[in-house]
Amino acid sequence: MQSSPGLAQDPPLTPLLSLQTITVRGRNQPRLDGVSLQLEPGERVALLGPSGAGKSTLLAVANGLLTPDQGQVLWQGEPRAHGVRARRRQQARIGTLWQDLRLIEELTVQQNLNAARLAVWGWPRALLNLLLPLDTAACAAVLQRLDLDPALLHQPVSALSGGQRQRVALARLLRQEPLLLLADEPLASLDPRLAADLLTLLLELASPPRALLLSLHRPDLLGGFDRVVGLRAGRLVFDQPSASLKPAQLEELYAGSGPP
Amino acid sequence: MRPAAPLWVLLPALVLLPVLALLPGISHGGGWELVGQFAAAALRPSLDPLVLGSVLGGLAVTAGIALLGWAASLALGLVLGIASSRVVWRSCCGSAAPAGWIRRLLALPRSIHELLWGLLLLQLVGLQPAVAVVAIAIPFGALVARVVSDLLDALPTASLEALRSGGAPAPAALLTALGPPLLPQVISYSGYRLECALRSATLLGVFGLGGLGTELRLTLQSLAFPELWTGLWLLLAVMLLLEALLGWLRRRWAMPARLGLRQGSVGRQGQEMVAVALALLPVLAVVAWRLEVRPAGLLQWQGLPPLGPADWGAVTALPWPALVGHTLLLTLTAAALAVGLAPLLLVVVAPWRAGGWLVRGLWALGRLWPPPLTALLLLFVLQPGVLTGALALGFHNLGILGRLLLEAAETSGVPQQQALAAAGTGPRLALLYGRFSGLARPYLSYGAYRADVILRESVVVGLVGATGLGSQLLEALSSFAADQLLALVLAYALLTLLGEDLSDRARLWLLETPHGDGHPQEAGGAWR
Repeated sequence: MQSSPGLAQDPPLTPLLSLQTITVRGRNQPRLDGVSLQLEPGERVALLGPSGAGKSTLLAVANGLLTPDQGQVLWQGEPRAHGVRARRRQQARIGTLWQDLRLIEELTVQQNLNAARLAVWGWPRALLNLLLPLDTAACAAVLQRLDLDPALLHQPVSALSGGQRQRVALARLLRQEPLLLLADEPLASLDPRLAADLLTLLLELASPPRALLLSLHRPDLLGGFDRVVGLRAGRLVFDQPSASLKPAQLEELYAGSGPP
Repeated sequence: MRPAAPLWVLLPALVLLPVLALLPGISHGGGWELVGQFAAAALRPSLDPLVLGSVLGGLAVTAGIALLGWAASLALGLVLGIASSRVVWRSCCGSAAPAGWIRRLLALPRSIHELLWGLLLLQLVGLQPAVAVVAIAIPFGALVARVVSDLLDALPTASLEALRSGGAPAPAALLTALGPPLLPQVISYSGYRLECALRSATLLGVFGLGGLGTELRLTLQSLAFPELWTGLWLLLAVMLLLEALLGWLRRRWAMPARLGLRQGSVGRQGQEMVAVALALLPVLAVVAWRLEVRPAGLLQWQGLPPLGPADWGAVTALPWPALVGHTLLLTLTAAALAVGLAPLLLVVVAPWRAGGWLVRGLWALGRLWPPPLTALLLLFVLQPGVLTGALALGFHNLGILGRLLLEAAETSGVPQQQALAAAGTGPRLALLYGRFSGLARPYLSYGAYRADVILRESVVVGLVGATGLGSQLLEALSSFAADQLLALVLAYALLTLLGEDLSDRARLWLLETPHGDGHPQEAGGAWR
């Protein structure tokens, strides 16, 4: 369907992730109703919609936590694996930045960063990580990439400040070496300056071949995105280059649900 | 090199290495056939109306004893708890010193296991239903007293001081300021005590104090396995029903869970609680009447067999270091087995839903099955000794700890586990890293408390022999050696008090750090 303008003239690429007519019947989460969406390598896509529209559900389908009731998920052109191991290998390339960060408070920064490698590590390394500082160089490198002092590596996460935690969560995402970055309203609870900083960082990290799919509530921050997708009551309302988005479309998307 | 939180939870399981290494040495392999018959009989319990009738009768007696013992212990515990609270003494008399004295006095009844109380009373007043009830009421009452006073002393005193400085008399101010916050915690805890009372009443029966336990032991010893399973399945049904009912009440009344990391809004629907408490009173009266519990009967002491002159030489000649050493070894092995196996089993079965249910079933059996019966069963294939006793006690406590861990794991670390799973981490590692990180401190501090309970309980596996103080005690009881009995009970009490102090310290240390979320009363005893 869509491909980003910058890549349009290239030979057809295999989409990184392709969601095909995904339906989720809501039990514990908002429902999805025949949603299709493709992400090409290098694309930065913003996901808009009022609360309860199914943004989180869509992200959960994308990262594999949720299996849709109908529809197919293709990862790099292949159906999502049924075998447990193959599926985990696919999930290991999809990194999620959670709104509540989901760091493990009791572990050190280094142990948290290494927890992103658990999908590919075996038991011996997983246990050793709880005993010794492993892969210090690689962990220090991701911290430095995010302007954090490598001396933080040995601090317990519970001792960090709010801003540091945010960046450590990002560092963990990098340490996972994902091809697709997902973020569920990462800016929601941040003050404007921190939010802008984080968004810049995320857009920067999503350089080819990585792609970014980010849900947000703030239409004013769409500048850096290639595409914008609108979701309302579980249905896809629009999917277009962000430059062509009109205020009327936004108004319609959020109609009846208060200011965006 | 300091192990991180999730590893702490698994470390006690290292005790499996020596245990598995020693097992072949103590197995005699004679009774595997019997164990097979026992297991096979689980699927075809006897449905003979006679058997069913006698099992149901026994079950009713056990449940009645549990209920009465529990109610008596609550009444006793509330009164003594208030009497040993520092806050109460300080506001009423200006000095907290008497609270300390009463606390110290209460340590002795608490440190002696209900089985010992039961057997001692049995010698004094003969077999009657009231013996088991009182045997439960004494140590449970002292325990409830300690918990109530700890809870009271841990409550914030600001509103009390406000009322007092406004001129309210001490009793009225105490009731108004401390009553409402205390009540839901006490009720939640007392629900848990009722579960304990049911287990204790079954255990007392195993030693002949009436009820289903007696039948369980007799059917086991006469190898009547189908009849044994009739009793076990019914007991299991009652226990699970009781646990489900109490869990439901706890949620309905928004009570603090025992291993809850965070206390939500505590205590709603006060009228309903009071109504339930009032409705219990006639039930108790009917039960007491049906069981023919007569308090007066306790005052009629039977003539004791003539006691010989005390032979203190024989008392000092007892192998004390070995007795104490074996008791401690038994306790630590059983505690490590219970504390370490619960999380290990959860990790092992994490990928399979069916495995989870299997583990739950195993734990329910462990809770239900009185340790001396497990020990007797183990004797079919193992030689008597410390390890056999430790396995029996460990299995029982595994059931208790495992259920607690599951309860706590349902609400703790779920987002972290999900995040790991979404990034492709396998279910076992996601459980270990995601959920056990936050649970490690509260779980291990509960484990420290459990070790202290196991020390007290070690007497109940004394009948499989050579397990230290417990077996020596039972021997002294049956041979009417009052001098040895006295010395052994005192030694036991001393050891238990030391153990309690140690486990309190361990718990405080574990809960001290900022992210332990440690409410002082958790360290003190809401979990007892």
